[in-house]
Amino acid sequence: MTPFDVGLLMTGVLLVLVILGVRVAFAAAFTGLVGLIIHFSMKMGFERGFFVALQMAGTIPHSKSVTYALSVLPTFILIGFLAFYAGFTKQLFEAAKRWLGWLPGGMAVGTVFSTAGFAAVSGASVATAAVFARVAIPEMLNAGYSKRLSAAVVAAGGTLASLIPPSAILVIYAILVEQSVGKLLIAGFLPGVFSALIYVGIIVAVSAWRGDAPPVKGYTWMERIESVPGTLPIIAVVAIIFCSFFFGWATPTEAGALGAFVVLMVAFAKGMKTKQLGQALHETAKLTVMIFTLIWGVLVYVRFLGFAGLPEAFKDFIVALEFSPWIVMICILLAYAVLGMFMDAIGMLILTLPVVYPAVMALNGGESVSAADSAFGMSGEACAIWFGILVVKMAELCLITPPIGLNCFVVSGVRPDIPVQEVFRGCIPFFVADVLTIAGLLAFPSIITILPTLMG
Amino acid sequence: ADVTWNVSLWGKRRAFTEHVEKLAQEVAAKTDGKFEIVLHYGGALSKSRENLDGISFGAFEMAQFCASYHADKNPTLTVLELPFLGVSDLETEVKVSKALYDHPAVQKDLGRWNAKLLMPSPMPQYNFAGKGDVPGSISDFDGMRVRALGGLGKLMEAVGAVPTSVTASETYQAIDSGTVQAAGFAPHAHLSFKVVEVADWWTKNLNPGTVHCPIVVNVDAYNALPDDFKAALDASVDPALAHYLDTYAKVYDKWWPELENRGVTQVEFTDEELAAFSSKAGPIHEAWVAEQSANGLPAQELLDMVKKTIAE
Amino acid sequence: MMTIDPGGRSDQERPVTYIRFDGWLARVENAFNMFAAFSILALMLLAVAQVVGRVFNTPVPGFIDITEQAMAIFAFAGVAYCQRVGGHIRMEIVLGNLSGRTLYICELIGVILIAFTVALLIWGSWYHFERAWNIGDSTMDIRLPTWPSKLVIPVALSLLFLRLLMQIYGYARLIADPRRTPIAVPVIEGVEEHAKHEIEEAFGEDTKEGGSK
Ligand code: NA
Ligand code: NA
Repeated sequence: MTPFDVGLLMTGVLLVLVILGVRVAFAAAFTGLVGLIIHFSMKMGFERGFFVALQMAGTIPHSKSVTYALSVLPTFILIGFLAFYAGFTKQLFEAAKRWLGWLPGGMAVGTVFSTAGFAAVSGASVATAAVFARVAIPEMLNAGYSKRLSAAVVAAGGTLASLIPPSAILVIYAILVEQSVGKLLIAGFLPGVFSALIYVGIIVAVSAWRGDAPPVKGYTWMERIESVPGTLPIIAVVAIIFCSFFFGWATPTEAGALGAFVVLMVAFAKGMKTKQLGQALHETAKLTVMIFTLIWGVLVYVRFLGFAGLPEAFKDFIVALEFSPWIVMICILLAYAVLGMFMDAIGMLILTLPVVYPAVMALNGGESVSAADSAFGMSGEACAIWFGILVVKMAELCLITPPIGLNCFVVSGVRPDIPVQEVFRGCIPFFVADVLTIAGLLAFPSIITILPTLMG
Repeated sequence: ADVTWNVSLWGKRRAFTEHVEKLAQEVAAKTDGKFEIVLHYGGALSKSRENLDGISFGAFEMAQFCASYHADKNPTLTVLELPFLGVSDLETEVKVSKALYDHPAVQKDLGRWNAKLLMPSPMPQYNFAGKGDVPGSISDFDGMRVRALGGLGKLMEAVGAVPTSVTASETYQAIDSGTVQAAGFAPHAHLSFKVVEVADWWTKNLNPGTVHCPIVVNVDAYNALPDDFKAALDASVDPALAHYLDTYAKVYDKWWPELENRGVTQVEFTDEELAAFSSKAGPIHEAWVAEQSANGLPAQELLDMVKKTIAE
Repeated sequence: MMTIDPGGRSDQERPVTYIRFDGWLARVENAFNMFAAFSILALMLLAVAQVVGRVFNTPVPGFIDITEQAMAIFAFAGVAYCQRVGGHIRMEIVLGNLSGRTLYICELIGVILIAFTVALLIWGSWYHFERAWNIGDSTMDIRLPTWPSKLVIPVALSLLFLRLLMQIYGYARLIADPRRTPIAVPVIEGVEEHAKHEIEEAFGEDTKEGGSK
């Protein structure tokens, strides 16, 4: 057996273990560890090889976790858990309603913007859907909106969380592929807004055509302006994070910490109790350790792949394919859509990127290719950013598609009177909108790359 | 190949790794390809800071690292990172490095990691590039936030500057936004971290010191080599270093025009200023000797030897 | 600690020692997770101090070094807690369709495999700590020793190992008699139940009074 064969064999073992339901972080660590033992045993005999592998694997948890760039993750997660106590949701929805209610389907449009705004700080798609199911659905139903539309717009609006900064998943992507965290986070901003606008376009068009989602009129300018101050904390958090990255005033960790600090103060001002802070911290710690375990676990496996030379081989295989790079790219994205139906977005990214990302970069012409010589018409760095946003968008899409579109189940769970099939059916237009968005991002990559490029 | 060695490197292939590329070529040529040295870039085999760990238990046979990444892993090597030793060019640095590698205390130090020093990756002197008011004299560094790590940071602190934590990859943004006003790097790093794109000025002749980044090999793997392979490896070091120096000279072919084109002011300090600045290094040298002597190393002897070799 | 058996069985049938040990372990795990939580809060405050300090030209010396070394705490301290509550992600398409003894056998194999991996990693990460302790290692800027943060890993993983032993026993007793009430093992939930839990997490305490149930 060559090292490469061992690499292939162990990758097969990993797939089987993951499908059989072994926790992904440890399935990867197991595969990596056994792979390293086989690798070094073949080179220097089992007695020595076992200990070399053991020590090699033993360095990785510390070495890979203790990385400054990753320290931004818990701050973003903390913002998300505190955002609920800071009570941003009602004011945000109220303001969006007063300002945008006059459009056809105006309440639904308001819901899209307020979920997008809340998603911006919370970063948690599923939780956002849960909260707005309670805030927005009753008002929409009172105004005569159908259950189907009311529920669907909340489920779909929640998916915008991962693109608009702060976003933990984009941080993880940036670190795994060794790109600037700040640039990835900034890059998500316009696609997030773009997605929201396409949702709005679909709502307005469908509502105007069907006439079943009446506009909400009659708010005076005074009432509109009065609704603004309630949204200021949220605007402050987004502004802190956006400006810190865009103008380089603070590093991602510092910006995340500042944002968390602001939300914490607002939450205290809104009457959050110490016990609730304790709960938020407990949950933050749990999610943080889950992500870190996933990262180092998979990196034990990736270290083994490095010795086996597998990423190189997969890269060569992809580049040697006879299809056009665009076809290959679309196939990769579709594969992510399928995988996303069965797996959590973060797990899916961490598990696949170490092998898929080098192949995508090679497909474009290499890490340091110029835009002119590249397959997709963009530099290596731009391609890395572009691919990251597309993959995250694919993963988000799966939150509103069967079989495990979690957002739909959550909305239906909050509103037992709305069956989940109804929510899924209502999401069809938003699914179409997302497909349009992805097509738009494929055709006009500058929606993604223009802001990071301006950062220099 | 009869023998295959893996080399753990971080980052991309660049001037800094060209001697290893050349070494692999030379060794292959000298042994008809029977001794193969495979380079692994991008930290695929280990993070740079854990390369000595990997060497110690034999996960790979060769690796590069910088002494300043972990001063307490390799205290003897940090003598070459002391400020104002007076190293004027890369040739001198090669010379003093080789002399240091021959010292028994240094071999013992690295021996704890089962490592044998093969060759240096000589680095040019650090200098500061910054944005804003051009410093006319050393006193202008007073109150300036600078990115300067370890010993260099201490030296800058001695003249009133404020060392501020920024990762290398964030330096560009940090200078652009004024988070720090200047950063100390060797010229190639100013280029690769794009500091030069936002800099208004560069200290041409401050030359306070540099970092020391050797290539090491695993002792057991080295001793296990057949005599002819060992001879081939040893004989390849000098051609590899010669090739390295040639490549590095080309970095400067890019560096000077880059400074010109971008209108970066090249600050030259007067001899008196530099003398006053370098006098701040005295206490830092003394502190180093005191600390390492307390750790049981012949620190004064090492420092004297280094200074003498440089002066020769 | 549990005094009433959820399965309504007599005292003789209940694994008392096991339940007691589980309760003791859970407290240690909770404490470790809280330690991680406070390290996150401390990191937040330190970073705010860094930004504010920089404005006044007094940044925190070695901020990056301190942050990096402290990361070991929140990256590892909660690892056993997370395993207890079933927080480490996995795919449940196959497991979700199994039940009874088959399910518990699959779960048991998975946990044994994790325990094997973790045992070896405790060993390996201990070597990593030992090198830093015996030979020496420090950070780049302000030369903090790295051994304390390297020690966190084998300690946290050892706690995880104890938890895994508990789960091995927990599944083994269910394999022996699948009608027993599961104790100290995470229970698989379908997507509806998962959604319900997400909702409870999002709303915290007020779920009970709200209209969600
Ligand atoms: Na977000
Ligand atoms: Na999903």
